[in-house]
Amino acid sequence: MQKGEMLIGWSTKEDVRKRGGSGGLVTSVLAAALEKKLVDAVVVLRKINEFEAVPIITSDVNEVLNSAGSLHSVPSNFAKLIADRNLKIALPAKGCDVRAIIEQSKRNAINPDNTFIIGLNCGGSMHPVTTREMLDVLYKIKPEDVQGEEIEKGKLIFETKDGKEHAITIDELEEKGYGRRENCRYCMLKIPNNADLACGNWGVTGDLVGKATFVEINSEKGAKLLQNAIDAGYVQIQKPDEKGIATRAKIKGAMEGLGKKWKEKVFVPLDNRLEYFRKELEHCIDCGACKTVCPTCSCGDISKCTEFHSRADPYRMSMYHLVRFLHLADSCIGCGQCSDVCPADIQLARLYRRFANPVQEELKYEPGIDLRKPPYFEAKLEV
Amino acid sequence: MSAETAAKVNGWEPKIVAFCCNWCSYGGADSAGMGRFQQPPTARIIRVMCSGRIDPLHVFNAFLEGADAVLVTGCHIGDCHYVNGNDKTKIKYKFLESVVRELGIEKERLQLNWISASEGEKFANFIRDVTEQIKKLGPSPLKPEGVA
Repeated sequence: MQKGEMLIGWSTKEDVRKRGGSGGLVTSVLAAALEKKLVDAVVVLRKINEFEAVPIITSDVNEVLNSAGSLHSVPSNFAKLIADRNLKIALPAKGCDVRAIIEQSKRNAINPDNTFIIGLNCGGSMHPVTTREMLDVLYKIKPEDVQGEEIEKGKLIFETKDGKEHAITIDELEEKGYGRRENCRYCMLKIPNNADLACGNWGVTGDLVGKATFVEINSEKGAKLLQNAIDAGYVQIQKPDEKGIATRAKIKGAMEGLGKKWKEKVFVPLDNRLEYFRKELEHCIDCGACKTVCPTCSCGDISKCTEFHSRADPYRMSMYHLVRFLHLADSCIGCGQCSDVCPADIQLARLYRRFANPVQEELKYEPGIDLRKPPYFEAKLEV
Repeated sequence: MSAETAAKVNGWEPKIVAFCCNWCSYGGADSAGMGRFQQPPTARIIRVMCSGRIDPLHVFNAFLEGADAVLVTGCHIGDCHYVNGNDKTKIKYKFLESVVRELGIEKERLQLNWISASEGEKFANFIRDVTEQIKKLGPSPLKPEGVA
């Protein structure tokens, strides 16, 4: 097994395979890593209800096996959870989680050698509150009746407890302002090749559809992780067929094309930028939640942005946000955590991306993709 | 009275904050005085030990406090007293420039220039040019209420 290899795998445990998404491979790999002491702890989601789950750090194999199968509407970011903990850890991660972990590693908050990242293909996640509202308004079903959820051929399908399926196309949902979170729509990282393993159901063909996971090994660490799971008897693998690999690449291309389109749609050029930013930030209550959740910020409690601003200042714009704009221009990964937590419902991710998009394009610096590329300021000094 | 109308009535003069490094451009400002090169009294000089010390947030704070323009000046590339301090300035400035542009502040309001200690005339000319440009633009849109 080596870097660059592509495989199809599934869990050998019937229960996990049935309950988990796409054959429960990720769950089994995590459980195997924990059991064989490859890692001290893993991060899994503990389900609260169909719409919400909290990430926890656990060393209990049973807890890991029980976690199999979560919905799409869990937009938490794991990077801050594992930062500054001297643990050997394995965790599943969406594209933005992986990028955040890499950015935290660059800032010495996470040791990349001790972190095993299982990347998950991600076409976007949904906010729990929006999802509930959407079910009520568009699907006309009670959120409590929902039993399962699936995305298939561009349709979002909810299964209710009486066994009925309700489907609406994602395009239609997003036109009405529901569906995926806004930053997910213009996200360009669909297959996380920056993680140790990239797992997902894209590329699984034939009888295995829904029962197996397509894995791409991106690093030595990833190969070790997968080999360990096979040796422990948790996972079975086979070679994918040519058709599968082509399908995976096709889906990736289509998703990226859609992302590009959304990017143009969201970031229309503005006439009076300054007025726009001032209007958007008018309702800010200075709670600092956007900074607290930001997975690329590793300043701690006392930082430039929070120390520099006071409500007593007669400034036209908040200094706090100006410093945030500056700091995020090179390091924003577009995870959208800030918009999710904002109590005043300011679309912060959109504002930050307004600065980050042109800067990152101009400087040809994409944060969170390559661990060997140092933070922007240092990178340029070495030359 | 809004800042703009006040400007017309009272013969408004722009306020320019100029960050100067101790070894070159501060000396440049000094020799501009010694050489008696005429320059408008619009610049407020802030001396820093090296232009690399200028954090982008100093620049933003200057704008928020009511500066109409901010100038970043330092030694010529290769002449830095601290070997590569102005290389760092260059990187930060490139960055700052694009954030200021995206924010919607006119690009004339933020300028970078390398001025050595002997270039008094260049310093005076620079201040004069910037003052002219800013007079055409009018007061900064970030100027707080009640600050001239």
